[in-house]
Parts: sequence; C-alpha cells; structure tokens
Amino acid sequence: MADAWVLPALPVAGFVLLLLFSPWLPRKGDWLAILLMGTSFGLVFPIANDVADSIGRGGFHGVEVSREWFNVQGYIEIRMGTFVDQITLVMLFVVTFVALLVMIYSTGYMHGERRYGWFYAIVSLFVASMLTLVLADNLLLLYFSWELVGLCSMLLIGYYNDKQSAAEAAKKAFVTTRVGDVGLLIGIIILFTQTHTFNIQEILRTAEEGGIRREWLTAAAVCMLSGAVGKSAQFPLHVWLPDAMEGPTPVSALIHAATMVVAGVYLVARMLPLFEVVRGMPELITALGLTTTMLAAFIGLAQRDIKRVVAYSTLNSLGLMFVALGSGAVGAAMLYLFTHAFFKALLFLACGSVIHATEEQEVDKLGGLWSKMPITAPMFIIGALAMAGLIPLSGYWAKDEILVGVRHGGLSDVVIITVLISLPITALYMIRVVLLTFFGPAKDAHVHEHAHESEPPMSWPLVLLGALAVVSGFVVFEGVGKALGFHSGWLGFIYNPAEGPETYRVNWGLAVSSVALVVAGLVAGLWVWGGEAEPSKRAGAFSPLVYRLFLNRFYVDEAYQLAIDYVVLAAGRVIAVFDRAIVNDTGVNGTGETTWFLGWIGKYQQTGRIPNYALAIVVGVVVIAAVAFGYRA
Amino acid sequence: MQGIAQDIPLEHFVVVSSILFSIGVYGVLARRNAVLILMSMELMLNAVSINMVAFAVYTAPSLFVGIIFAIFVITIAAAEVGLALAIVLRVFRNRGTANVDEVDTLRW
Repeated sequence: MADAWVLPALPVAGFVLLLLFSPWLPRKGDWLAILLMGTSFGLVFPIANDVADSIGRGGFHGVEVSREWFNVQGYIEIRMGTFVDQITLVMLFVVTFVALLVMIYSTGYMHGERRYGWFYAIVSLFVASMLTLVLADNLLLLYFSWELVGLCSMLLIGYYNDKQSAAEAAKKAFVTTRVGDVGLLIGIIILFTQTHTFNIQEILRTAEEGGIRREWLTAAAVCMLSGAVGKSAQFPLHVWLPDAMEGPTPVSALIHAATMVVAGVYLVARMLPLFEVVRGMPELITALGLTTTMLAAFIGLAQRDIKRVVAYSTLNSLGLMFVALGSGAVGAAMLYLFTHAFFKALLFLACGSVIHATEEQEVDKLGGLWSKMPITAPMFIIGALAMAGLIPLSGYWAKDEILVGVRHGGLSDVVIITVLISLPITALYMIRVVLLTFFGPAKDAHVHEHAHESEPPMSWPLVLLGALAVVSGFVVFEGVGKALGFHSGWLGFIYNPAEGPETYRVNWGLAVSSVALVVAGLVAGLWVWGGEAEPSKRAGAFSPLVYRLFLNRFYVDEAYQLAIDYVVLAAGRVIAVFDRAIVNDTGVNGTGETTWFLGWIGKYQQTGRIPNYALAIVVGVVVIAAVAFGYRA
Repeated sequence: MQGIAQDIPLEHFVVVSSILFSIGVYGVLARRNAVLILMSMELMLNAVSINMVAFAVYTAPSLFVGIIFAIFVITIAAAEVGLALAIVLRVFRNRGTANVDEVDTLRW
C-alpha cells in the first residue's frame, strides 16, 4: 500500500509520452497507453490483498503514507501522500478496470479519428487525475485532481471541436461544474482556517470531536456539498451531464458514467463523518438526491436520443447514491457505485456500438437491430435490466441495500416511498429504449440495412462488462466476499464507521415490493412500446402536456436561461452603467481630459521668445532670493 | 595682494560686480540681437568671477578656491560662447536674422 502512488504515475507517464511522441509511434501509441493502464490495473490487486489482510487482522482504519510537500517555517507544514482504505480500494478498482476496457474499446470506436493519439493522452491524464483524487490524503491534492478531472472532462466532451454543439457542451460542463467547484474550494479554505491542516483524516477527527465551531462547520459542509453536487450532476447543477453526451461515447462511459461523476459521491462518502455532525445536512443530501432521481426518471421517459436516455439514467443512479449517503448508508452507496460502474459503462459502450454501427442515435430512426447485432443487443438488455434493478442482476442488490439503508437511516417515510415510486419509472424508460432500438420494425430502412455487429475490440469489453453487470451484485453475500479473499461480504467491508460492519440480511417487505414494482414497470413498458409501437408519439398521446414537460427536461435549462437573461444580464447592465459612467468616463477618461485641459491652459507660457524666458528666470531668481532672505530675517 | 586689501575695502569690489551684473541682466532682457545678449551674459559671468576672486582674497587668502572657480567660469564661458555663436551663425544662415524676437518657432 505504501507504493500506491505508482498507480497514477503510470498513466501520467502515458500522458506525457503520448503528448510528445504519439505522431511518431506505431498506431499513434494507443498500445502504450493501454499497456500502462493495464499495469496500473494489475497493481490494484496487491493493494487489495494488503487491505484484505489488514482487515483480517482487525482494526484497519486505512493506511496513510505521506511526505513533506511544502513548509512555511514556523507556521505550517503541508504533507502530501496517499490514503488507502476500503472506499479508496473500490474506487481504484473501478477506475482502472473501466478505463482499461474503455481504452481497448476505443481502438475500435475511435479508429481513424483525427486526434487519435491526443485522445489517448487525455484519457490517460484523466485516469491519472482520478486515481490521484481517490488516493489523496489531503484536501489540497484532492482539489488539484478534482479540477484536473474537470479539465479532462471538458477537453474530451469537446473532442469533436469542429462541431458547435460539442464546443458549447464542453463549455457548459466546465462552467456548471465550476459553480460547484468554487464552493468546494471555499469549503476547503474554511476547514483549513479552522483546523490548520488539509489532512482529511485529521479534519474528520477534529470535526467529530467538535473542534470546529458549529457555524463554520455548517458553512464548510454546505460549500463542499456544492462541489459534490456540481461534479456528480445533482439537482440543480445537473444540466451539464446530458449535454456532455456530445463527447465520444467511450468518454461518456468512462467519465460521465463510471468514474468522474461519482467523484462527488466519493467526496461525500469520504467526508461523511463531517457531514453527519452538521444538523440538517443528511436531510439536504437526501433531498437533492431524491429530486435528481425523480427528475431524471421522468425526463428519461421522453428523450429520443438513445445516449441521452442513458445519461438521464446516470442522473437517476447518482441521485440514488446521494439518497443512500444522506441516510448514512455508505456501504450501500459504494455498492451501487461499484455495480453502476459496470452496468452503466456497459450501457454506454453498447450505445456506442449501436451508434458506431448505424451512425444514428435517434430512437425514432433505429429499431429492429436485435438480429443485426447479436452481441450488442443482449448486452444492452442486460445493462438496461440491471439499471432497472431486476433480480438477480447486480443493480437489484445495490438498490436493495439502498432501500434497506434508507429504512434504517431514520429519515421520513416519504424518502423510501419516493425511491420506490422511481423504480417502475426507471424500468419503464429502460425497457422503452430497449424496445425502440432493438425490436419492432426498422424505422429507417437505410440505417437498418447498413447496421452490423462491431468488431472484436469493441464487442468483447461489452461481454466482460455484461458478465460483471450480472454477477457483481453478489458481493453482498458473505460467501462471495470470502471466496474473493475478503473476510466478509460487502457490508462488512465498507460501512459507516459510526455504525460498524453489518452482514447481509433480507428485508422481505422491501425486496418483494421493489421486485414487484420493477416487474410492473417492465410489463407496462412492454405493453406500451411492444409490438407495432410508434415511437415516442404513443407515449405523448397519454398526456401531451406532461409529455412536453418531460421532453423539455422540466424547462430547467430554460429557467437558467431566463435567470441569466433577467437577473445576471440585468445586474450586468447596472454594473455596465457604473463602469461606463464612473470607471471609464470619470476615472479613466476624466484623468486624461483634466490633464489635457491643464496642458491647454499651460501651453500659453511657451511663447518661444527668449526674452520672455530670460525674464522668467530673473524673476524666479529674485523671488527665490527674496524668500530665502525672508526666512533668514 | 596684502596692499590692495588694505587700500580698497571689499565692499567696492562687491559694488562693482553688482553694477556689472545688473548691466548684464539689463542687456539680456532688453537687447534683441542674439550676439548682444551673449555679450551681456558674459558681463554677468565676469561679475560673478570678480565676486569670487574678491571674496577669496579678502576672506580666505590662504585658500585658492574662489580663484580656481573663476578660472572654471572663464573656461566654461569660452566654451559656451563658442557653442552659442555657432548656433547664432546657423540661425542667421537659415533665417537671415539674429533678432531673437523673430526666432520663435518653438512655441504653442
């Protein structure tokens, strides 16, 4: 565990080498990036082994390795290093594994693109930053890598930089997350001023012991939460994620599904002891998560772009993770994060396979691809069902744990009822996109004719992820955990330190109702969109008004536009008047004009006649002499 | 030197130099011919030199500071007049006049 820093160091090397030499390397150097990524992934296992051993010996609270970073003599010493515990380990595994598969997949998907080498360089940099983010033992390093993943996200969303919409989506993602990031920075600064350290563990200890004044702690928690909300695309900063789908699909799978967007979840999970001592904070986190979940579920029902449906399902999932965190169910949230990484990456990569094969992503033009894509279609369906949470796929177990966690979290029953309501809706829109894409009549004969299964580098990562999407949920069981070399099941491995390790047990009421609701959603979906369904229009026929509301994403973007037009720009106009009248006309031009006027008056002394000057000199001498004598006398 | 100092009081030198200086000032202010202005300036310089030598002899006969300064003044005056006359010459060549009232291009 002491050498965990090697994990991000390898992709950094890949980034530098590819950036400098990729044009001269065979295949633009993609093999180099994949090789380094694979090594990094391989190195997670020794760390996992160490962690499992340490837990087996008991009393494991994470291992911190740090060295001096910089030092202001006599005031503060900042140390930098890595911190590895169970949460970190899960993140390391997810990030390196999905990144490796995405890189392999991209050799097919991105083949022949203009900036192929650059793509691999930036993905390498992204992975390095993400690994640094989850390994960081102090908030300063975390913030650096937090911004770096944001930068990489922006660069990759805008990968097709000759496309106006992609450039604008990149800008939107960057600016929207920046709104949250400013909060995060302020939160970090507040914590530093209160505790005089950036070290996460020390800050958490101080917070739990009540060493931070209540009002400062509340301010810091709210600020840090805003960072997490921006990065994890929670309401009200969720608007950037659907637009981020302008990026290449492998990027959406890696950054906007499996890794970067869960950085916010990671941050909240990491700082949970701090959030939990602030009154009202768990409720706030839960409320944001619930709003996001419901919003995304309804919007997902009406979207026509296959990738956007999956993007809204990501919002849906992220909302659920926040709900779990709000209830203090760290284990459930991390389990959902873990399984979500597989089935959501699977969904995105399968989307990419469809887009690659048909060059079309509107469900209105797809359809009947089942027979044409014998690998992609079943894999997409597995992903969709896992997302819907059908037993026994991985999504079910994670969602079940969240429900149990919420039940035990002691929050109002409204929370659990709302989560239960979202389940059939999730199932409904997932089955909708499956039916419209892979079944029914081919809506565009030309597209259907040219569709084909993708080549092996793209299809076998799908199969691997599909397998994990099926089985990864089983880690909740004691037996599976022990078979994998850990001493317990998932909930005994990652748990809220305030509550201690738990074992898996079935809550029959919740399990039966969740399965029933999901099945009901799927059946309703089959009934609506099955057979000869005319796409989207039939859904709209139920209630055109509601349909328009969903289709237009509850007009949140429009509301922001209005707010910008009428609040930001109006304030801007007032400030512009001040700037024009006071700063420019009075301050800047006024200085110039005054100088000019004085010069205009003063210029008349320059007569050009020597006797005038001579007289002035004489008078001057006389005056000075008179004054000097006056003083003496 | 001692003889002069006993026969003529210091005030006489000061009065002479003052008169000379005033004549110089009057010349600089009243004359319009550049050469005459230069000559008046020389008068002023000479008045200063007289002052310096006189004070040197009367107040600190063992030191030669004032006398050395007078020599400096003479040297610099020579150089200055050389330069100034050259300028006057050029002005006269270019504009056909040495009247300073007519040479006033450098103005607002």
